[in-house]
Amino acid sequence: MTRVIAASAPRTVLIVLAVAAFAASFLVPGAAFAQAPPAGTEEARKACTAAMNADPAFAASIVKIADEQAAAQRDRDTVKAHVDANHHIQKNQRHVIYGYAAMWVIAAGFVIFLWRRQLGLKLEIANLRRDLEAAGEPPSKGRT
Amino acid sequence: MKKVAIPLFATLAAIGVAYSIHLIFFVTPLQYGLNEDGKLNGSSLFFNQKLFYFHTAHAMLMLIAAMMAGAASIAYLKTRDPKWDDAASAVTDVAVVFGGIALLSGSIWAEAAWDVWWKWEARLTMTLLLWLLLVGYVLVRRFAGPSADRITAGMAIFGMISALFVYKMAGQDSHPAAGADGVVATLGPGMRGPFWLCVVAVLTWYIALVLVRLQSTRAERELRELRERGLDLGVLQ
Repeated sequence: MTRVIAASAPRTVLIVLAVAAFAASFLVPGAAFAQAPPAGTEEARKACTAAMNADPAFAASIVKIADEQAAAQRDRDTVKAHVDANHHIQKNQRHVIYGYAAMWVIAAGFVIFLWRRQLGLKLEIANLRRDLEAAGEPPSKGRT
Repeated sequence: MKKVAIPLFATLAAIGVAYSIHLIFFVTPLQYGLNEDGKLNGSSLFFNQKLFYFHTAHAMLMLIAAMMAGAASIAYLKTRDPKWDDAASAVTDVAVVFGGIALLSGSIWAEAAWDVWWKWEARLTMTLLLWLLLVGYVLVRRFAGPSADRITAGMAIFGMISALFVYKMAGQDSHPAAGADGVVATLGPGMRGPFWLCVVAVLTWYIALVLVRLQSTRAERELRELRERGLDLGVLQ
């Protein structure tokens, strides 16, 4: 039994080592794929920088794409700011018009109320004085 | 002089208001709400600040009218002279109108600048209560009968004290402050002149309206006296 175990020990060790290496490839990320692209951002940046340094045409195309995307984003931000400002300006103008219109309506309404009240009072006072004079009462001094 | 007074004040008011509007929209600069770092903030005033001039002038006149009504009511309670009662009544009626204008224009301005129609803050709430008190004065005057003059005199005195509270409360909330460090005192040079011209124009307008309302109040008193005489004589029933 001991001789059998001793004869099969190297093979066993090899099998155990192979299984351990296979298992470790799942535990250590990327360890099993020596030629795959890097997973992290920093690694990607380094790889891209290296590629751009190696190929000027590639570098120029990358820079051009980045500039176009940044310009498009700035345009979108500018348009949004202009749309917001336009909305604010229109709202402001509307509210100023509403505010002044409300002031004028109230003021005009009060003036019309005063005018009608004054006319009604004058008429009523004149009628009462006439009735009192007709009843023989001496006319009072008018204040209106 | 009395016959000339009302047309004179009304004409001056019309000219003053027209010129004020010209200055407000074509001369005064826009006010931008700025942060301390000089950048625009989200609730900038911009064009809606044009409401400031007439809104503030009407609010000031409402407070002044409330205090005048209180003073006239004190004089009436002391002397029982009807002319003080007539003056208090006339001034309060105009104060109700000016207060309504101030509250409504302020509400519209608040919606433009703050995105809310109303805030239940101390000063605004107190101003609304004062205005409701003045409206109550008018209603009591109309419906309370023979003792209305004394009841409303008491209300007007209460309104006078409330007006002082409203003025002192300025600056306690998001509404701009009053007084030596307030908005009016620290107006820029381009705005100060038009603002005070606007206040004078609205004051002239206020005087014209008070004089007209005083005429009506005296006519109402005369009508009451004629009616009483008619009832005594049996001419009226």
